[in-house]
Amino acid sequence: MTNTVILTIVILTLVGLILALVLFWVAKKFRVEEDPRVDEVEKVMPGANCGGCGFAGCRAFADAAVKAPNLDSMFCPVGGNDVMKKVAAILGYEVKEKAPRVAVVRCNGTCANRPRTNVYDGVQSCKVKAALYSGDTGCSYGCVGCGDCVAACQFGALSMDPETGLPVVDESKCTACGACVKACPKGVIELRNKGPRSMRVFVSCVNQDKGGVARKACSAACIGCGKCAKVCPHGAITVENNLAYIDFTKCKLCKKCVAECPTGAIHAVNFPVLPAKPAAPKAAPAAKPAATDATPAAERTDKKKEAANE
Amino acid sequence: MSKITFRIGGVHPDDNKISRNCAIETLPLPPTVYVSVSQHIGAPAKPVVAAGDKVKAGQVIAEPGGFVSAFVHSPVSGTVKGIVSRKDLAGRPVPHIEIAVEGDEWAEGIDLSDTLVTEIPSDKAVILEKIKAGGVVGLGGATFPTHVKLNPAPGKVADCLIINGAECEPWLTSDFRIMVERPDEIVVGAALMQKVLGCRCVIGVEENKPEAVEALKASVAKLGYPDIQVLSLRKRYPQGGEKQLIDAVLHRQVRSGCLPIDAGAVVQNVATALAVYEAVQKNRPLVTNTLTVTGDCLPVERQHNYLFRIGTPLSFIMEQAGGVPEGAAKIISGGPMMGKAVSNVDAATVKGSSSILYLTEAATKRNPQSNCIRCGKCSDACPMGLEPFLLNRLYKAGDADGLEKNAVQDCIECGCCLYSCPAYIPLLDNIRQAKGQVMGIIRARAAAAKAAAEAVK
Repeated sequence: MTNTVILTIVILTLVGLILALVLFWVAKKFRVEEDPRVDEVEKVMPGANCGGCGFAGCRAFADAAVKAPNLDSMFCPVGGNDVMKKVAAILGYEVKEKAPRVAVVRCNGTCANRPRTNVYDGVQSCKVKAALYSGDTGCSYGCVGCGDCVAACQFGALSMDPETGLPVVDESKCTACGACVKACPKGVIELRNKGPRSMRVFVSCVNQDKGGVARKACSAACIGCGKCAKVCPHGAITVENNLAYIDFTKCKLCKKCVAECPTGAIHAVNFPVLPAKPAAPKAAPAAKPAATDATPAAERTDKKKEAANE
Repeated sequence: MSKITFRIGGVHPDDNKISRNCAIETLPLPPTVYVSVSQHIGAPAKPVVAAGDKVKAGQVIAEPGGFVSAFVHSPVSGTVKGIVSRKDLAGRPVPHIEIAVEGDEWAEGIDLSDTLVTEIPSDKAVILEKIKAGGVVGLGGATFPTHVKLNPAPGKVADCLIINGAECEPWLTSDFRIMVERPDEIVVGAALMQKVLGCRCVIGVEENKPEAVEALKASVAKLGYPDIQVLSLRKRYPQGGEKQLIDAVLHRQVRSGCLPIDAGAVVQNVATALAVYEAVQKNRPLVTNTLTVTGDCLPVERQHNYLFRIGTPLSFIMEQAGGVPEGAAKIISGGPMMGKAVSNVDAATVKGSSSILYLTEAATKRNPQSNCIRCGKCSDACPMGLEPFLLNRLYKAGDADGLEKNAVQDCIECGCCLYSCPAYIPLLDNIRQAKGQVMGIIRARAAAAKAAAEAVK
């Protein structure tokens, strides 16, 4: 009886020792040399594995960052400049700060602006709907409203507004990972610079139809009239294929185009609401002083923005 | 009951060929036609006219934009107003040539008479050239340029030409009407294509069209071309699918990733045969086609089979047919199984337009979907032997490799799975997306392989 117990203990100990030796040898022989900095970098990453950086996940990004000669072409949109600074500190690189970005929905085809011309009864997926036809309004470019972008967002930053039928971006949650941009079959969503104090001016339309056709389909469409391009003092606006586009790296937020646009397709968001001036009799003159008032503020913030861009 | 049919899958929708007794009427000329440059599969045609040009009916207005492409001819005489971007059936912008109609003058050399020309040119190159010059494309739905299909790649030989008179889509009767009214022309057209390929020919017609079978048999007997046979097939959808018809007639299966020519067959529609006859024997290019106006909310006396000029706006045809009937909830161009819902009635007709179908809400409303219970009805119905429920799951999981392994690229988008699903799962919509995705991957891979091969050279 005692013998059996002792024998069992001895055999198990021996087996354990042999296996331990085998494991030790295997661990030596097949050891994968890995830069310990990869682990360190991965630790400071947000861990969302969203793919917004263009790599398969945070680990892949960390691996690539360690191997890269510099960090110029790499950026984690979710972590932003803070994370990039930490990564740079670990790897001993310089990091260029990037202006934070945000997803912008460039369609204002609300139910009121863009009347429905037919009823869609198929699968509630933008991809399927866009592959079948141009959408249930006269506009063949804008948002088709099935919410593929909402489903694609890992951060809960997008939601559909039931009143307008358009997606809404929650700027506090948006990390500019670009998943919604990829999910949108119509190319409605764009990543734009967040702007100083989140102030932005953009064309909220992607319709490339000629003015009359676009206007007929949607009262808030860009008709490609070019007035905004003429009035822009910074050359930030180009009109191509009957559609205006504001280059956010050139825009100085003067808002002259906003006042000029005949259809209201250019949106200015997050600007402080100026106190209404009782002296101004009409809307048009009121808009002008507002624009001039905004200029100095914009110039001040420009310097900050330029610094941020460098 | 005929026993000849394809072996796998298929469904039996009600055929509803209500407009079968409506003789073909010639539609009046519209004030303006809009001729699309993308009326065929392949590269869009390049316009060769400019604003202000005077054109006659049958004159070339656009040239092929590539190897797989086709000529486009003016369907009317008049003045070119310009090349305009206009929305197609699905609302997408496509360049169209706008022509204001003035009179009805035809280009020189076009024989407009009704006399039957039965003599077949001895040189097959002449026939092929005339088919190409006539802008003939497959009128069964895919609109693949006919001259390309009749000219198989070197080393590939066809031993049977199948003329597709199945018209398995419910409601449609345009093919039936031409088979009954113009069987002689169809048989001559078939003989012309048979001459090009140098093989036997079978005309397959579903047995719900006995008049067409009789008419074609009488024509074949009368005209006396050798090796042309008319077969009556059992009624079953999608018999008119190329691969299904080959299986039904020849009992051969086209392997995954192969073309019908790999199984020794070439399939052409009866309407294409008619277009070939007109292009070769009458020098008359493809500028007209037949279209059915029908639907479950349209009384029989308002149903029509029209001979229309290609480029006529749908809205004009709808007006001529008495406007949109009461109760119509959905307008479909093409049959109810594979046709497309029309979201833009101002769209112009194209070479492949085959019907305007008005359906009620009761007939078209989708039922709310429930869960898959793995009953396997979709797998039983799939004529390509695929497993639609599995493809649907793989698509939802985003598994492109799995989709390719399960041959999603072989889907012919016939809609049998969707038709048979008791849970009303939108199988086809998802599978079509998956197919597009996988086809993109396959094409990218082929392009990369080609580039690599060239780099080695």
